This record gives sequence, structure tokens and C-alpha cells, in this order.
Amino acid sequence: MNPVELSLQNCIKCNICVTACPVAAVTDLFPGPKYEGPQAARFRGSDQPMPDSSVDYCSGCRVCNMVCPTGVKIAEINAKARGGMVAAGAVSARQRLRNNLLARSADLGRLAQPVAPIANAILNNRLVRIVTESVLGIAREAPLPSFSRLRFSKWFHGRPKTVSAKRQVVFFHGCSTEYYEPRVGQAAVAVLEANGIEVIVPPQGCCGLPLLSNGEFDAARDYHASNISSLLAYAKQGIPIIGTSTSCTLTLKEEAPELLDYYGEDAQLLAAHTYDFHEYLLELLEQGELLMPRRPIPLTLAYHAPCQYRAHRIGRPSLEIMGLIPELNIIESQAACCGIAGTYGYKREKYQIGMDVGRPLFEFVNSVGGSVAVCDSETCRWQITHATGIETVHPVELLAAAYGYTGCDRVEKAIAGS
Amino acid sequence: MAGKPDVLVIGAGLAGLTAAWQALTMGKRVRLIAKGWGMTHWHAGCIDVMGEGVDDDGGISDSAGHAMAGTAAVQPDHPYAILGRPKLNEAIDSFAQLCRAYEYPLVGNAGKNWMLPSAVGAARPTYLAPETMIAGDLTDQRPMLIVGLSQLNDFYPGLMADNLNAQGIPAAAVTVDLASLREVRHLNPVMVANRFHSLTFLDEIADAIRPHLNGAERVGLPAVLGFEQPIRVKLELEQRLGCQLFEIPTLPPSVPGIRLHRILVQEIRRLGGVVQEGFEVVAAEISGSRVLRVFSEAGARQKSHAADVFVLATGGILGGGMVAAQTGDIKETIFGLPLSGVKAQQDWLSHEYFDPQGHAVFKTGIRVNRDFRPIDETGSQFAENLIVVGTTLAHCDPLRERSMEGIAVATGFWGGRQAASNESS
Ligand code: SF4
Ligand code: SF4
Repeated sequence: MNPVELSLQNCIKCNICVTACPVAAVTDLFPGPKYEGPQAARFRGSDQPMPDSSVDYCSGCRVCNMVCPTGVKIAEINAKARGGMVAAGAVSARQRLRNNLLARSADLGRLAQPVAPIANAILNNRLVRIVTESVLGIAREAPLPSFSRLRFSKWFHGRPKTVSAKRQVVFFHGCSTEYYEPRVGQAAVAVLEANGIEVIVPPQGCCGLPLLSNGEFDAARDYHASNISSLLAYAKQGIPIIGTSTSCTLTLKEEAPELLDYYGEDAQLLAAHTYDFHEYLLELLEQGELLMPRRPIPLTLAYHAPCQYRAHRIGRPSLEIMGLIPELNIIESQAACCGIAGTYGYKREKYQIGMDVGRPLFEFVNSVGGSVAVCDSETCRWQITHATGIETVHPVELLAAAYGYTGCDRVEKAIAGS
Repeated sequence: MAGKPDVLVIGAGLAGLTAAWQALTMGKRVRLIAKGWGMTHWHAGCIDVMGEGVDDDGGISDSAGHAMAGTAAVQPDHPYAILGRPKLNEAIDSFAQLCRAYEYPLVGNAGKNWMLPSAVGAARPTYLAPETMIAGDLTDQRPMLIVGLSQLNDFYPGLMADNLNAQGIPAAAVTVDLASLREVRHLNPVMVANRFHSLTFLDEIADAIRPHLNGAERVGLPAVLGFEQPIRVKLELEQRLGCQLFEIPTLPPSVPGIRLHRILVQEIRRLGGVVQEGFEVVAAEISGSRVLRVFSEAGARQKSHAADVFVLATGGILGGGMVAAQTGDIKETIFGLPLSGVKAQQDWLSHEYFDPQGHAVFKTGIRVNRDFRPIDETGSQFAENLIVVGTTLAHCDPLRERSMEGIAVATGFWGGRQAASNESS
């Protein structure tokens, strides 16, 4: 038995997870982690009928995992159950089409990014959104990102190559930096190079998480296999693979192996070399090797550690690194989740649940105010902006600015306005 | 808070939270990490100091006195005996003060234990109880009405009333059906508690209870009277019903326990401390007589946590701080600390479930010296910067003594202070 299934035996039925689950708190459509996870899992044997399809309302936020006193991997149990539903044909073809459209950000990006202005105009068209809602079930209000005119990898390879004998890292940009927010990757490169680190950006695909959280395990396995084959050579040389997208790095580290039973030596080697961007910087800091930021950023900003980040179980490295920036005052949110949970909040039947889940966070962000809010995860950033009207940045954009890099428009605007 | 903390507390039960709070009041940088939420979410939200052996003029002074005079005579290493009565009183009083500052008074009964009804109607001796519970005291014979909610399945007013009647306490039972809860599947106490923010809900529940009062002078409800202002909810309901109200602890999740958790976490954060769950500490690095760091399980690789002083508050067998193997081996899970009272497996449990002597396995624990530093059987110290607090300690039997929260709060309080000063006495 793999660790996910094994862990359900640890459940002591204490109900702590039920009190923490942000989805169960706002909707009766989802009875909560204990019932869906360790309890229903006992009835999901191969020769048993599907107990209940409400497990599809689990957003995968992992808040339950974090509070469970006995280490039950509830969110993964639920994700596997959803995978089982898809495999058993219990999810309608239309829903799967919708889910796949949402989950295949790489394919979509490859097609749409070259024609970004047109694609954006289409996606922002109200009529189009109404039609996609009724035909496909993608909520019309949900915050779809805009394709960027610039493709991150193109930008990266189009610039003069910097070489460092001292340190090298592979940058895993993920789909959002590649197609929607290259500014995050540019800031990351600026930070790494300021520290004298050579950045390598090999060809790479989607990490597969959106597919995993939609139960499309076969497709996710292909992505993971292809990432292993393109990144393994670096891992073998001991070069760290670091990413600014907290969900991509979590998938490479743990989610793909656990959900897909993908425990081969290669997958483990890749996992062992994968780091969240700030987790890596924190190691540099501890070794006394991190360049200290000097430019003051006299702002008070709200920061939300996304659930995917908390799920790394590495604390709050970006909070610690931001703590080095002179005059920057960061207030951390204690809210459980923004509600978007990857592709969850884009679905018509879940949009309102997502917004209700995120309410405490939105109230917090509004109460802190400030010209921008800070969050490590892309979909959460879009959700926060959608709900509060406040623009959001990745913590690396603040660090880059504090190193003197002026390419982060949102940060520069905020500093100028302070 | 960035960088290495002065004090790292492991465990988020009452003991760990109290230790973190106290180390913070002494100006230290404190981080608390825990595998998940702790016993606060399933205990009654009262502070039991010493329930067993309380006599007519019992109470904290005497029950603690009993602990020291009685228990201490046979058990001079009991945590209460290590602390002494003034320190025990100071810890418990400070804790009550903290709760009062958060508008959630915990009250003592003039030096005696309360006798509050449990969810099955048994008398439950406890020293400090939230103001929302004390009208249920069973030393007082006034008739009561026990009210259940038809959607809240895990609460049995009939059973409770029968048991109370059998003890000579006049009690009636009713289960009311609230329209606003009818559509809810899987109702739990936390979900009901969250509804008390609305006055409409208050009115609805009062209207549903009123016709059933039949001369009852007090009404017992499952402990669900909200999180933010339970005292106010209680007063509002009392006004509407014209009689006293009391909460009865429920099966988990326990709202009164969660209130204590929230108060402590809020206070820790107010003082600049960090509380993070999701960290299962699994190993430690020790050099000479010092703990350098501990390691928690994480995605792909372990996460290291360095600190100057470490406080171990992971609980006993129940809390997960110790594990017992089939072979009879019992281990403290992080440091592999030497344990006292380990018995062969066939002697772990008494054949009588309710044996007044308790079960041997629950007496297993970590021996400490006067500074709450772990020691082995020869008295030699395991490390100079490791403090152990809570029910993981040896020479006590919190279940049988009914001293669980008292030990957690008192040792957490003084252990936290000890960690902050980290001097040897
Ligand atoms: S918190 Fe963990 S142990 Fe408790 S009911 Fe949920 S899964 Fe079970
Ligand atoms: S992963 Fe999130 S939504 Fe799913 S059961 Fe756990 S807490 Fe609830």
C-alpha cells in the first residue's frame, strides 16, 4: 500500500479536519474531509460501487492535512478518489472537456500566447464568457488571466548568456510565468543573477498539477514523465531545480509521486533536487551567501501564504526573505484559502463556493489596504485581485526591486505612490 | 519573525501553547510548530487540576494540596510536587486572567471543584470552568431541562437526563427541531457555534425551547454558544428564556476547547510569536550536551529547525508524543528520551477498564529534574537546552487523577519561563 492509503488507518475520528475545512464551512454540498477522506475511502475498494460523488467538491487545498493530528493525507485520498471517478467514467464528458480546457494551461498557452491581444480580447468578451459558461461551465465572472505578449522562455534565451562557475540553478518557470506573467520569472532571474548564480532554463512542460486535481491522472503522468526526462540530467549533476510557482514545485516534489504512485529512482532524484524559490534563497541566507537587499521599500502590505505553499511544510521562507527588505512591513494573513484552489474556482458550480471560502482573506487584504498585495501562487493572486481590486505581486518581485531592479511595474508604481 | 528563534516549542496542545505564550512574555522570539492541532479540539474546555481524591472542603488548594500531601508523599516527582503549590496557583491564575482579558472568564468555585455534568450526565469534577458552564453544577439540585438539536446527532439529551435523574437531579430532556438547520447535512458543534453570530438564530432557538421549560430553572445545551462572544450569547438566551443556561461539553470537535486554542494562538501572535501546524518533527541533531536542531517531515526532504532552546510538548501516548509498539517497546518519538514506568506489553492495561488505579501504560513518561530538563534513571541530564512539559511527563497519571489540563497549563507555564531564561536552578 502506498503512503496515502496507509495513512487513512491513522484516523482517530477526532473531527479536527472537519472544523478546519474551508469548503465544508460554506457549503452543504461537501460533508467535509473526515467523511470524504478516511471514512469513505474504506468503501472505495476496487470491487465496490462508488460511495458518493460529492468528493469532487474537495478543492484540494490541504488545510485538513495541516491540522490533522495523526498525519492522515486526506487531500490526497480525495484526489485519488476523484481520479478513480474519472477512470470509472463517473464524470460526464462535458465536465471532463471543461476540466481539461482549464487544466491544460500549457497547450492553451502555446496556442493562444502568440496571438495574445486577440486571445485576450476574446476571453474578456462578456458574450464569449456567457457562452463558455453555459456551454462549458466555466464561470463567467472567474478571473481568467491575460496572455502575455512576451513569452518568458523566448525572452530568456534572447538575452546575453550569463555564466557562473560558482553556482548554477535550473529555473522551473511553470505555465503562468511562461504565458501569463513573465514578469515574475524576470524578477527571479534578476534576483538569482544579482547573487552571481547562473540560471538555466531547459525545455520543460506543465507540472501536471491542474490535471491531477481534475482527476486526469493518465495525462498528468505523461507530463511528469516528460519533465523527468528533461530535468533529470541536471538533478544528476546536483543542480537545484527551483521555481516561483509553489504548486509546480510541490507537484515535482511530492504530489505527482504520491498521487500517481510514481516512486521510481528518477522521480525521487528530481523531487530531492526541487526547491521553492525562497526555500532555496533561505538556504543561501543560512550559509551567509545571500546578497542583502538595500533599497528600502516603505510599504505596508498584506501577504497570503497560499495553501499550496503551506503544503510544502517548509514554513514561510518568502516571509523570512521579505523580512530582510528595509522598511518593508508585511502583515501575514491567517485565512485558510483564497478559494480558487487552482482550477476549482473557475467552474460554474464552484465559483461561488470559492468566493465564499476566500471571504476572510479578501476582508483581510482590504483591511490592510496598500497598493499591492503579495502572494506566491498565481491563481491565488488572480483571485485576490478579482475579489478586492487590489493588484498582487509575487514576493520575488519585491526582493528584485529591493536589489535595485526596476522592471517590476507594480512594485515601482507602489513605491512611487507611497 | 525571521531567522532562528530563541525558543522553539514543539506541540500545539495546552502545554505547548502556554509555554510559547510565557516565553514570549519574557521577551523571547518564539516559534511553535506542531504536527496538527492538539487536544484543545477534543477536550471539554475546562481546567481540571486534580479531580480524584477531592474531599468536602476540596478545591484547588486542597486538591493540589492533596496532590502534594497525598500524591507527593507517594510520588515526590509528580509535576505538581516539582512545582510546589505557589507556582501551581500562579500558573492557573495567570491562565484564568488571560482568558478573562479575552472576555471569556474561566471561573473557580471558591477553592472547590465544580461538579459539572458530562455529555452522559456523569458528575465531572473540574477546577476552572468557563462561565457558560457553571449553572450546570450538580451540587445544586435545581431542576434542569437538557436540550438537544435534532440535526446534531452526537448529543443525547434523553440518556443524559436519565442518568441525572438516577443521581437525584431532576432533569427533563427535549430535542428541538430548528427550521434553519433542517437542510444541513452532517451538522457538527462548530457549525452550530458559527450560527450564533446571528440574532435571528438566537431567537429561533429560544422560541423552540420556551414551550418545553415546564418549570425548569436552568437549561443545558450542547456547548455551541458561539466563538466570539459566548458570554453574551448566554445572557441573551437567558433573557429570552427567563432562566439560567449552561453548556455541556460535546463529542469532538469541542467548541469550548477550540475557544481556549484561539485565545492562546491570538495572544501568541499578538506578542509576535509564530504558530505553524503541519510540521511533524521526526528527528533531532544533538552535539555534546546541546540540541542543535530538529527536523520535520516535509515534501521531498526534511525541514530543519534550529533554535537556542527547545520545548517538547508533544503529549503522551494519547497525544502522539510517545508510540507503543506491539513488542512492548514505548518510545518518545523525536529524541528517543528515556522513559520511566515502561512495562511489558501484557501489563500495559488493567483487566478492568474502569480500574481506579488506572492503566499502567498511561503512567509511562519522561523523567525530568527541577528545571524540567529530561534525565535518565541515574539523574543525568539529557541536554542542557531541552525542556519537557505537559502530560508527557512521568510520575503522573493525568487520566486517572483528572489533572490533564492542570499539568499542561502549570508545566507549560513554568517550562516556557524556564526555556526563556534557560538557567539551571
Ligand atoms: S483530523 Fe485526521 S484523525 Fe481527525 S478525523 Fe480528520 S483525518 Fe481523522
Ligand atoms: S483539501 Fe481542503 S477542501 Fe478538501 S477536504 Fe481538505 S480542507 Fe476540505
